[in-house]
Amino acid sequence: MSNAIIPLLLDSLASAALIFFAAVGLTLVFSVLRVLNVAHGSLYSIGGYVAASICLFIASRQLNPYLSFAALLFSAVLVAAIFGPLIERGLVRWTYGKSEAVQILVTFGLFLILEDLQRVIFGVQSFYEDAPMRLLGTSSIGGVVYLNYQIVLIGMAVVVVIGLRLLINHTRLGRLITAVVTDREMAQSIGIDTNRIFILAFSLGVFLAALGGALATPTSGIAPGLGADTMVLAFAVAAIGGLGQIEGAAVASLIVGLARVLAIYLAPSLDAVAPYAAMLAVLLIRPYGLFGSVTARRI
Amino acid sequence: MTFKGISTVVARCLSSLELLFSLDRGLPQSRFRLVVDGLVGAVAIGVVATTSVAAQEKPSALGLGIFTFTSGPAAAYGMPGKNAADLMIDEINAKGGIEGVPVSATYVDEAQGAQGVIAEYRRLAGDTKNQAMVAALSSANCLALAPLAEQLEVPTVGWNCDTHQLLIDGKSKYVFRPNGNTVPEFIAYAIYLLDRKPDVKTVAIINPDYAFGHDAAKIFTAALKALKPDIEIVAELYPKLGSPNYQTEISRLATARPDVVFSNLWGADLENFVRQAAPRGIFTSSQVTLALGETVLQRVPLPDGVIVGVLGDGWWMSPDAKANPETVKFAEAYKARFGEYPVFPAIKMANALIYLKAAYKAAMSKNDGKWPTRAELAEAMKGSKVATLTGTMQTRADNDGLVDQIVGVTVKTSAQQFPVIGDMVRYKGDSLMPQAGQDPLAWISTLKPEFARSLPKPGSYK
Repeated sequence: MSNAIIPLLLDSLASAALIFFAAVGLTLVFSVLRVLNVAHGSLYSIGGYVAASICLFIASRQLNPYLSFAALLFSAVLVAAIFGPLIERGLVRWTYGKSEAVQILVTFGLFLILEDLQRVIFGVQSFYEDAPMRLLGTSSIGGVVYLNYQIVLIGMAVVVVIGLRLLINHTRLGRLITAVVTDREMAQSIGIDTNRIFILAFSLGVFLAALGGALATPTSGIAPGLGADTMVLAFAVAAIGGLGQIEGAAVASLIVGLARVLAIYLAPSLDAVAPYAAMLAVLLIRPYGLFGSVTARRI
Repeated sequence: MTFKGISTVVARCLSSLELLFSLDRGLPQSRFRLVVDGLVGAVAIGVVATTSVAAQEKPSALGLGIFTFTSGPAAAYGMPGKNAADLMIDEINAKGGIEGVPVSATYVDEAQGAQGVIAEYRRLAGDTKNQAMVAALSSANCLALAPLAEQLEVPTVGWNCDTHQLLIDGKSKYVFRPNGNTVPEFIAYAIYLLDRKPDVKTVAIINPDYAFGHDAAKIFTAALKALKPDIEIVAELYPKLGSPNYQTEISRLATARPDVVFSNLWGADLENFVRQAAPRGIFTSSQVTLALGETVLQRVPLPDGVIVGVLGDGWWMSPDAKANPETVKFAEAYKARFGEYPVFPAIKMANALIYLKAAYKAAMSKNDGKWPTRAELAEAMKGSKVATLTGTMQTRADNDGLVDQIVGVTVKTSAQQFPVIGDMVRYKGDSLMPQAGQDPLAWISTLKPEFARSLPKPGSYK
């Protein structure tokens, strides 16, 4: 087993990176809008489908294959630009101030619509485009061959955590978001255009979801049903980290990634249940998540 | 309106109600479903009971309920089955139908889950137009539908249904499987592997996490242990069905450093696994055996030397298939219509429809040219021996099929742009099957190395 320690750690980080991309957008949207977006998983898979389609187009036209890296980022921007404002203005804003049950029902309805939309547009067969993975090659670490793309993903996850923290703490937009998160009514009263902040924050959440799907495409298949699986996992991560906590999502992704990888290495039959067992264990000790805090409820 | 008509409408309404409430998993709903199940069953039996006389007259159309996966990751396996059914039915109808009656199919997507599949089966069985079912792909769905087929007395042809548990009690009257099952399918891989790589010491298994994956692992392991007791299983992984990412599992396989990696992943799961494992060197560090590998030969670049097979004899390029003009015609028509050659699930479906057609012919011949009832059709399937596109299918007394098993390795040829199967062996269907009623795992444990030595060797099927 000792020869498996380095692969185990590396696999945990690689797994955590993929999980983090799926979860961070969900937690960001909840932090600002106080809406649990059940359709988040669908936006993740749409990002994957769009990225795979653009990469396949690049391959079919025999364009420079390195364009596929730009395509991954472009597809996330495209999905966010289309779906972010559309969903926030068209649906989500009607749920502000409503009960959590209404918010979940509305976004669940959207989830069902988006899942069927994917079937209509992309069909039911699995999509796969691995050009970015092939271009980066492989490395042997601890006696195991890894894709360099997996290592790049770990780096990108770190970049996203730092980037989001810089955005929140050191930009005007970030300060405005913080003001809205802290006290929505007070922010409105001092002249902050909260509608604009909501659109931007929701679109940023959609971008992160779509980016997660796009970045996963080169090493994973995209097929109907991915959205639901992603949503459940993302929710587990958000709950462990504390809903609305970016660093919490990062740490929770590491916990879930490590739990899953340990299960595969040591007790494969527990693979599927490991992330949720970790969630249960954390919530029993800290019901508001690792980074969450108890807040007084307004009546 | 006749009683039959009223019964059909009531059965449909009850089934719809059941679907409507199927999201709720609470106790009261379970009781509700139990009541609805009972009512639907009772009404459907009523429908069936009133149809025997009318069914003696030749109908204007022969309806078939065909169950397969048309969505989700399993569609990569299920859609070739549907495509083949479309093609075969068009060809049958172009020649005047089955015994002069045109065939029409109603497809049911198995991706909706067992509860939905059961409701659809009941709905279709309640319509007298549908005289037989071709169901199903998933072993779990086959096991769920089998008691219903017996209860409703509807001839049901398992076009895939690999699980050996399906007909294990030997009492089935209406369920038939014109296929092999998991027992001969996975013993065949163990024997071929030991013939090709007799010095194997360690094996790792990665199979899907449901009955098919676990049964296959049990049978394959039991056969290996019986034939070469010093073999060690160094890793057993069961990723969730439909999992898109296998990177951690691949790392685990790599750290176990097995001589052999065995897998019965299928559909999009298999494609994803191959695409992710190949660049990480699994195919060069271990002898990989992909039980359903033929299904991805045209889609992913499998390297040479991977042990693959077709879970039966259904390879469109086998020597027997190439010698059969009907098979060549079918393969070319399939390629022209769907853009790729028929993988073995397509051949299994085509063979199932040939089997059904042969049963109608036999039943009418026995019935002085009169259109058979469902019971007479089922009776005609018992003990039947049918020439298929790729060989012969013999039905045993327990309604299980005896079908040869083809196994080989991937090789590149100048004739095709994709790898094909070479160094093949074709094991006789009955040689790898326990007797009807015998416990399969107990039978496998009695196998001796001499048994394997008595069988044909890799490369003998040319």
